[in-house]
Amino acid sequence: MAPTPTQSSQLVNPLATTAQLSSSGSQLDGVPADLEDSIRFAGASLTQVAGMLLRLPQEIIARAIILFTRFWVGPEGGSLIEYGTEIVSASSLYLIAKLSPYPKSPRQILTTYAYLSSLPMTLLTSSLFSSKVPESPDAYYLSEGTYLSQRVTLMKTESHILRVLGFDTHVALPYTLCVNYLQTLDVFQHPQASALAKRAFAHLNTSLLSPQLLYLTHQPPALATAAIYLAAREVGVKLPDNEWWEVFDTDREELGFLVVGLLSTEAFVKGEEERWGEGKGRGKAPMTVEAVEAEVERRRILEGGG
Amino acid sequence: MAQSPESTPLRPIARRFHGCSKIDEYDIMSKLGEGTFGEVHKARQVRTGATVAMKKILMHNEKDGFPITALREIKLLKMLCHDNVLKLEEMAVERKKGAGRQRAILYMVTPYMDHDLSGLLDNPDVHFTEPQIKCYMLQLFKGLQYLHDNHILHRDMKAANLLINNRGRLQIADFGLARHYEEPVPRKGMGNGSAKRDYTQLVVTRWYRPPELLLSLRRYTPAIDMWGAGCVFGEMFKRKPILAGTSDLNQAHIIFELVGSPNDESMPGWRDLNGCEGVKQFPPNPNPKLTHVFRELGPYAISLLKALLTLDWRKRINAIDAIDHPYFKMEPKPMREEDIPRFADSHELDRRNTRGQRPLPPAPAGGAVGMPDWNGTGPPPTNGPWMNGDRRGGGPQDRGPPGVGPPPGGYNRGGSYDNRRGPYDHRGPPPPPPRHQHQPYRPDNRNQGLPYDDAPPRHALPHPPPEGRHPLPHPPPHNYAGPGIRGPPRHGDPGDRYVPRYDGSRDERDRHDRRSRESDDVRSRDGRRGSRDSGNSRDAQSMERGIPPSRDDRGAYRPPSRDDRAQGYRPPRDYGRDTKRSRTRSPDRERENQRERERVRDVYRR
Repeated sequence: MAPTPTQSSQLVNPLATTAQLSSSGSQLDGVPADLEDSIRFAGASLTQVAGMLLRLPQEIIARAIILFTRFWVGPEGGSLIEYGTEIVSASSLYLIAKLSPYPKSPRQILTTYAYLSSLPMTLLTSSLFSSKVPESPDAYYLSEGTYLSQRVTLMKTESHILRVLGFDTHVALPYTLCVNYLQTLDVFQHPQASALAKRAFAHLNTSLLSPQLLYLTHQPPALATAAIYLAAREVGVKLPDNEWWEVFDTDREELGFLVVGLLSTEAFVKGEEERWGEGKGRGKAPMTVEAVEAEVERRRILEGGG
Repeated sequence: MAQSPESTPLRPIARRFHGCSKIDEYDIMSKLGEGTFGEVHKARQVRTGATVAMKKILMHNEKDGFPITALREIKLLKMLCHDNVLKLEEMAVERKKGAGRQRAILYMVTPYMDHDLSGLLDNPDVHFTEPQIKCYMLQLFKGLQYLHDNHILHRDMKAANLLINNRGRLQIADFGLARHYEEPVPRKGMGNGSAKRDYTQLVVTRWYRPPELLLSLRRYTPAIDMWGAGCVFGEMFKRKPILAGTSDLNQAHIIFELVGSPNDESMPGWRDLNGCEGVKQFPPNPNPKLTHVFRELGPYAISLLKALLTLDWRKRINAIDAIDHPYFKMEPKPMREEDIPRFADSHELDRRNTRGQRPLPPAPAGGAVGMPDWNGTGPPPTNGPWMNGDRRGGGPQDRGPPGVGPPPGGYNRGGSYDNRRGPYDHRGPPPPPPRHQHQPYRPDNRNQGLPYDDAPPRHALPHPPPEGRHPLPHPPPHNYAGPGIRGPPRHGDPGDRYVPRYDGSRDERDRHDRRSRESDDVRSRDGRRGSRDSGNSRDAQSMERGIPPSRDDRGAYRPPSRDDRAQGYRPPRDYGRDTKRSRTRSPDRERENQRERERVRDVYRR
């Protein structure tokens, strides 16, 4: 009758299993792994930007991105041949926002996504808000008919996400932990403390987009620790000499892996920009089922021809 | 394993999902109950042979996708793991082929529990000994301690939500109204603390609602669950709800009769509350009758009861201290779970599917809870505007009427209802549900006040009819249209199959009269409800009064679901159009809901 200790459950995430990481629904359906990485990355970025346009707190955006990422993982996960990246991104955001104190209506969500998909490029970084605005509002006008049919799709996709995820919508985040850890490390005396915290948060945000699915393979404490470790090096704040990360439930090996993962994301993003960025490569990454099918077909022809 | 791109390249393959099984992995055995939220079935998992309960999640309101209340409940349950908290095993999906719409039906799968407490208390064959009561109460407190310790308020504590199996295990169920609590958790010896933010008042079934909620405290604490536990404690001795108010105001009155009126000493700060439906003055009651009413209990039991039913929510005992209460240390010691007798012998229970998803919450709070007219401050109703659209539609009572207490006599309504009410009726003779305070449906009823005063304890009642009792008022008349089974509803159906053994048959006529009166009320209410703008006028009303929509308002709102439910019970042989009717009805509700929802959209939730 002793209460089962499950206190920590709120701080722990369900992680992807080895089987889930070794294959995916998309790959089983014939989508090449590298293309899948690209699309997943584009979808995560899209979710981030859509969340920002919807004025959602980063906490919620991060949860949505993690949910979005979980959806595609594993042989039982969603397949790019079945579900469009955009609508899955929209549904994740809708679902997470619905559970949060900042619910968004289907119309708000769909309008935002209509706007974003009218933009000429895939990778929507901070430059988005300064430069690229579609010339005519017609490009992103959502007619009532389109809205209604998209709403149906949104709901269907939502149900499907829930089923794929076994109705587990819980996502634990490392942000608060990160602040706690910084306080524990007593760095807030340091003049660079604020820069350090910002940098650590930036790393946490970056890892949301990592092709290594860091949020699906590591628990929040490890992520927070790695972000702090890396940020402290970059900013030049000296942390204790001893193995302080052990205190935060992270061993050396995991820390090293995460730091490398975080650092490698930059190169990955550059590569993606080369491939799909505006005016480069082949334009937008395929974000709908049709576009993915066309891309797969195109590659097959190329391979066959080559 | 990966298909090569050449072979059937872009055809999605069939997949199955973890934590989410198909309905055909279960053999549905029997229906345990139903309500507007959907149905609960008993089923056997084919693979393991385990018996489970499956609660259907209805997706009426497709506009907003998966019902937020169900999402919340699932999310909470997935995080909880305790011996005394009902576990969510998984979700099961049923895909209906064809029928134009491909909407999947979802079930929440939980372990099957043999009884619910309110059903058990209702069964005359079951007698609780004190050691057994101690055992259950300890388990209840442990469950509550776990919840509160995890920052969760249950907010619908009542006997019907406490499930008990034949191995003596008690589990807290139904988290449809539960929510995360953002304040510090209760600590040993420190009462239940205080809250810094507002929460919705539209929670807790009326008969278990604590005084601070009745007086409109928004910053409530885990103490509200402890009050409910106190009511349950008393109920275990009295075998019926100890505080069966007929309206919120009446509820407050009978509480104050029992434990004394609020004053600056017994309930500091009560003057600052908005009062109950605008009433802020209560006659002083120098002689609370608790000690007298529960005189057959020992001093320690009374001391615990008093600690639980303490007006001052700050001083009310918390779960940790309740576990340590001397009551549990005294002889007779609490029984061990495994020593508790099985109630297998009560076949009646089995037959009646004791799990007891009784359908008709006499809507005290149920309806009350989380109706769309949540006024915007504080947290959202756990089941906000989606209310009717999801399984919580009928309020939180999926486990049965919120404390429908049987009237002192017991319904002898055999016949007509029998066939459909089977599963729910173990709860003894239902009193007319106390729904509307403005509806004096039994003004002369001796049961108005504290029911236990004059009413014999439940076990003294005659053997309940094997079937056919149900806590419901008469369904609206059109339900009776059905031939046969239904029969003429109100007056002792000559065809009653059950002739109660009781000598209290004098009560019969009364009861029927009451019922018939009541059913008229239902009818008229239904008529009223028919007008579409009821929702709005309700709002206007409550705004005018500058108080949160009160229960009577909510009461007015309820009939749709009641009606629905009533329809739901119809035996299959009722014409199909009945089903259709409920279907066509729902758009109306939905529209109304929709309006409500739009109104509260911004403030909605939390």
